Amino acid sequence: MSSDRVSLYGFINAKLRAKIGLMRQSKVIENLLHASSLVEAVGVIRDSKYHAVADAYDRTGDLQQMELVLLGMEISMYKEVARYLEGSSADLINHLLGKIEIDNLKNTLRLWYSSIMRQRPIRHRSEYLFKDTILSPIDWTALINATSWEVVGASLKDSPYHDTVAAFTEQDLQQSGLFPLETELDRMWYVHLMECVKTLKKADEDVATSMLLLEIDLRNLMMLVRYGWYHHMDAEAVKRLLLPWGKVASSQESEAYLRQNASERDPHSIINRYYPGLEDQQHSGSAHGDEASVLETLKIEGYLAERRKAIYQRMLAQDPFTIGLSLSYFFLFKEETSMVKAILNGKYYGYEEAYIRGVLV
Amino acid sequence: MNLFTRPMKLLTAVVLEQTSDAVVRSLLGLGVMDFVHMNKLDSGQMEKLSFRQSSVSRSALQDMRHRVEALLKQGHIPVPTSEVLNVQNLEKPQLEAFKKTLDDLTGNLLSLKEKQKESNQMVMGLEEMQRYIKEDKGEYLDLRVGQVTKGRSEDLKDRIAAFGGLLESVENTDLWISLTLRRDVGQVDPLLDKFGWMESSDVQLQQQAVSMIKEQLKKEHQAALTDREKIEKAVDAMVLGQQTQLFAIWANLRLNELSDQIRSYFAYTRNTTLFSGWVPTDQAEVVEQAINQASEGQCVIEWTEARQVPRGEVPVAVSSPKMLAPFQRMVNNYSTPEYGTVNPTIFVMIAYLCMFGLMFADVGQGFVLMMVGLLGKWGYKKNPLKKDGMISRNLTELLVYLGLSAMVFGALFGSYFGLNLFPAIWFNYEAVVAGHGGNGSLITDVYGILGLTIKFGIIIIYTGLVLNWINLFRKKSYLQLTLDKNGLLGGILFGTGLYMGFAFVESGYRSFPSDPWIAPVITISLVLLFVRGFLSYYISVKQGGERHDLGAVTMDAVMEWFVDILEIFTGYLSNTLSFMRVAGLGIAHASLMQSFKELSSLADGFGGVMIFILGNILVIVLEGLSSGIQSLRLNYYEFFSRYFTGKGVAYQPVGLKSVPSEQR
Repeated sequence: MSSDRVSLYGFINAKLRAKIGLMRQSKVIENLLHASSLVEAVGVIRDSKYHAVADAYDRTGDLQQMELVLLGMEISMYKEVARYLEGSSADLINHLLGKIEIDNLKNTLRLWYSSIMRQRPIRHRSEYLFKDTILSPIDWTALINATSWEVVGASLKDSPYHDTVAAFTEQDLQQSGLFPLETELDRMWYVHLMECVKTLKKADEDVATSMLLLEIDLRNLMMLVRYGWYHHMDAEAVKRLLLPWGKVASSQESEAYLRQNASERDPHSIINRYYPGLEDQQHSGSAHGDEASVLETLKIEGYLAERRKAIYQRMLAQDPFTIGLSLSYFFLFKEETSMVKAILNGKYYGYEEAYIRGVLV
Repeated sequence: MNLFTRPMKLLTAVVLEQTSDAVVRSLLGLGVMDFVHMNKLDSGQMEKLSFRQSSVSRSALQDMRHRVEALLKQGHIPVPTSEVLNVQNLEKPQLEAFKKTLDDLTGNLLSLKEKQKESNQMVMGLEEMQRYIKEDKGEYLDLRVGQVTKGRSEDLKDRIAAFGGLLESVENTDLWISLTLRRDVGQVDPLLDKFGWMESSDVQLQQQAVSMIKEQLKKEHQAALTDREKIEKAVDAMVLGQQTQLFAIWANLRLNELSDQIRSYFAYTRNTTLFSGWVPTDQAEVVEQAINQASEGQCVIEWTEARQVPRGEVPVAVSSPKMLAPFQRMVNNYSTPEYGTVNPTIFVMIAYLCMFGLMFADVGQGFVLMMVGLLGKWGYKKNPLKKDGMISRNLTELLVYLGLSAMVFGALFGSYFGLNLFPAIWFNYEAVVAGHGGNGSLITDVYGILGLTIKFGIIIIYTGLVLNWINLFRKKSYLQLTLDKNGLLGGILFGTGLYMGFAFVESGYRSFPSDPWIAPVITISLVLLFVRGFLSYYISVKQGGERHDLGAVTMDAVMEWFVDILEIFTGYLSNTLSFMRVAGLGIAHASLMQSFKELSSLADGFGGVMIFILGNILVIVLEGLSSGIQSLRLNYYEFFSRYFTGKGVAYQPVGLKSVPSEQR
C-alpha cells in the first residue's frame, strides 16, 4: 500500500464512512413508509438531511419541485466527493456524475419530443428540469425550446453527446421514438466509463472494474428479463441492448435463452444461473395476466437490486484506500434518495405502506 | 447540588388492582421512579404473578402522536412539550375519534397543497416567459398582435392559457396581444386560425407589444405568487385553527404512552398489583405518601437500601444546577459515574474553563465568543423551530462560559484583541512569548509558561487522584485505595517522580537528587505493588472466588506488577507532559496575534484595520476550536482516567418530562 493512496483516500474515506454511519443509523426510510399521508411524510424529512425537500413542499406544495431538490442534492454529493479527490480518481467520479447528466438529457429530450414531435403542450414542465451545468456545457434552455432537431443538436454542440444525438434524424425519431437514442446514450456512457476505468491506478482499476462488471451483468440480466421476456422482443433486438462486457452478454446461457421463442423464455433460469436464490422469493399472490408479469418483473428486478446492495455493502469492509468506498457510498446514497423519491410519490398517490414496500427496489 | 451521586432507595409496593390507575397517575405526576421489571424477581415468586398486555398498543399511540407532530410542523407550530401534560387529564384515548380528526385535517391540507401546486405551476410558467424577456431571448417567445374575428376572445384566452400563454387586449382598440412560447407554435397556430386571428400591420404597435405584455406578465406573475403564498399561509392558518385540539390529542396520547410504559413494569396477582423501582432517597417520603394517598391506604410498601443491592444495579442520579448543564453534558457524553461516587460536573467545569482560559486568553475575543453564545441562545429562544446549526443550542450555552473564561484570563494576561490596552493583572503573556517579559514579571520566558502549565497539570492529576481516593473510600475498596496505581501508592510514586523531576530541572538538567529517602520509598512502593496481586487473590478467595494454583497466581501477579510499573512510570509522565499542550496553544495564540498586529502595521489605514479584524476572526475561529477540543481531551484522558470508571447505570425515571424514545 503506497502512501499516495492513503493521502488520496484517507480524508474522503473518513468523511464518507461518517456519512454512511449516519445513513445506517437513520430511520428516515422506515418512518417515511410508516407515514400515513404526504403531509406526514414531509414531517418525517423535515428534521433530516432532506429538510430542503420539505422546505420546497412548504413553499410550492409541488412533488416535482421536491424531486428537483433531491436531484440537486445528488449532484452536489458527486461534486463534493470529486473535489476531495484528484487525477484519474476524480475523473472517474465526474464520469459517474455524467450518468445523471445523461438521465437529465434523456428527460429533456422526452419533454422536447412530447412537445415538438407529438404536439402536446408541456407548459411549465420544462421548469422541473435541472438547468444548471452538471458536467458538460449544455444549453438546456435552448434544447427545450428547440423547434427542430437541428437546433437540439446545436444546443449540444460543445458536449460529448452531440455526435450520438446528431447520428439520429428527425425521421428516425418519428419511426422508432426515443428508445434507440436513449439506449445509445447509455451505451456511450458505459464505453467511456470503461475507458476511464483503465486510466486508474492498478488497485483502483481492479476494484472499479469488478464493481462495474457486476453493474453491467445486472443491467444485462434486467434487459434480458424486461425486453426478452416481458416485452417479447426478438433475439437480435435484445442483443443490441446488451452491453458487451461481463459474464452475461457473451454467455451460452444468454444465447440459449434468446434462441428460445420469445413467449417461451423463462427468466428464472437465466437469473438463477448467475444469482441462485430467486426461486426462494415469494411469488406474487393472485395476480393474473399482464399484472402478474409486471409483478414478476418487479420481483426479479428487486431481487437483483438486493444482490447488488449486498455486494456493495461487502465492499465497505474491503481495502479502504481505493475508489471502492466512494463507489459504495454513491450506491447507498442513490439508493436512499431513490427510495425517498419513490415513497413520496407513493404517499402523494395515496398508496398503502405495504404496497409501497412491495414495489420499492 | 450534591457533591456525590444522589442516594437511592428501592421501593417495592403492592396495591389493590382497583387503585392501580390512581397509583399510575400519582407516580407519573411525580416522575421520580426508575422502574424495575418484576421479572427480575426469583422464579419462585414469579410463578405467582402474571403480566398483562395493554388494551391499546403503545406503538399505535406513538404513531398517532407522530401524526399530530407532523401536522403541527406542517403548520410551523412547535411540537408541545411536557408542559402541556397534566395527569389529571389522563383519560382513555379515543383513537377512532382522533384518527378522524387527523384524517380530516390531513385531507383538507392536501387539497390546499394541491391548489398551491397549481399556483406554483402557474408561477413557473410565467417566470419562464419573464426570464426570456429579461435575458433578451425573444427567439423562444411567440409574440403577436392581431384581431380575433371568430368566436369569443374569452374562449381564446382560456385556450391560450392552457399552453401557459397570455392574451391581453390593447386599450381602446379591438386588438389583442398574444404571448406564447415558440416551441408551442405548432399547436398555437391552428388555434389562432380557428379563432380567425388576423395579424395587425401596425409596426409601431408590434414594437410596443413587448413592453405592454411585460407589464401584464408582471401583474399575472405577482398575482400567482401572491396566490401561492396565500395558500402557504392558509395551510399554517388551518393547522393553527386546530392547534388546541391537536395539543389536546397530543397530550392524551403522550400521557397514555407514559402510563402504559409504567404499567409495562407492573405484575399482577388475582387482586393486587406489584411494582418496584428506584427513587432518590430525598423523594422517598413523597413517593410513599403519594402511593398511600392514591391507594387510599390499602397498600404495602417496602424499602430496600442501595447498599443491600450490588452497586452496579443501582441507577445513578446526579443533581447539578441548571447553570452547569453544558458541563453535565460533557460528563454524560463520557459515561455515567458509579453509584455513590463523586459527581464530576463541578470539577469538570473548573478544570475545563481554566484550561480554555490559559489557551485562549483575550478579553476582546472572549467578549466576542460570549456575544456569539448569547445571540445564538436568543436566536434559538426566539425561533424554537430553528434547527441546530453549526453552533448548536448546547454550544451556545458553553460559548458564554468560554467567553467569560477567556475574558478573565485575558485580563490576567493583559490581552484585549491582542492589544495591551490595560496592564496585565498577573503577567503579560504576549510580551513573555515575544521574549521581553521584563524583570519584574512573575514569568519571564516561554519556559516559565511551560512550567506553569505543567504545574497546572499536576494540580489536575492530583485532584483526580484525590477524587479517586474519596470514591474508593466510599466504596470501601481499601486495597485499591492503598495499593493501586491510582491509589495512595500511585500518589506517592507520582509525588516522588515530581520531586525528582523538578530537582533535575533545577540542577540545569544535569543530575537527579540523591536524597536518602528516595530509593527506599520507591523500593517499598514497588514491593507493595507486587504484593497487591497476592493480596487481591487472597481477598477474592476469602469472598468465595475461584482458587488457582500458586504458579498461576504468581504469574498473574508478576504480569500485573510489570504492567502497573509501566503504566505508572510512562502514564504519569505522559499525562503530566500532556499539559504542555496548554502552553503550546497559548503561545500559538499569542504568536498569531503578534503576527497579525505586525502585518496590520505594515498596511496603512483601512487595509491595516481589515488585516487586524480578519486576524482576530481567524484566531477566534481556529484557536477557539482547538482550545475547546484540547480542553475536552485533557479532561477526558488526563483527568477522568484517574477517578471516573463510567460503570454506572443512568437513572431514568418515568414521568411527564421523560424524553420520547425516538428522541433519545
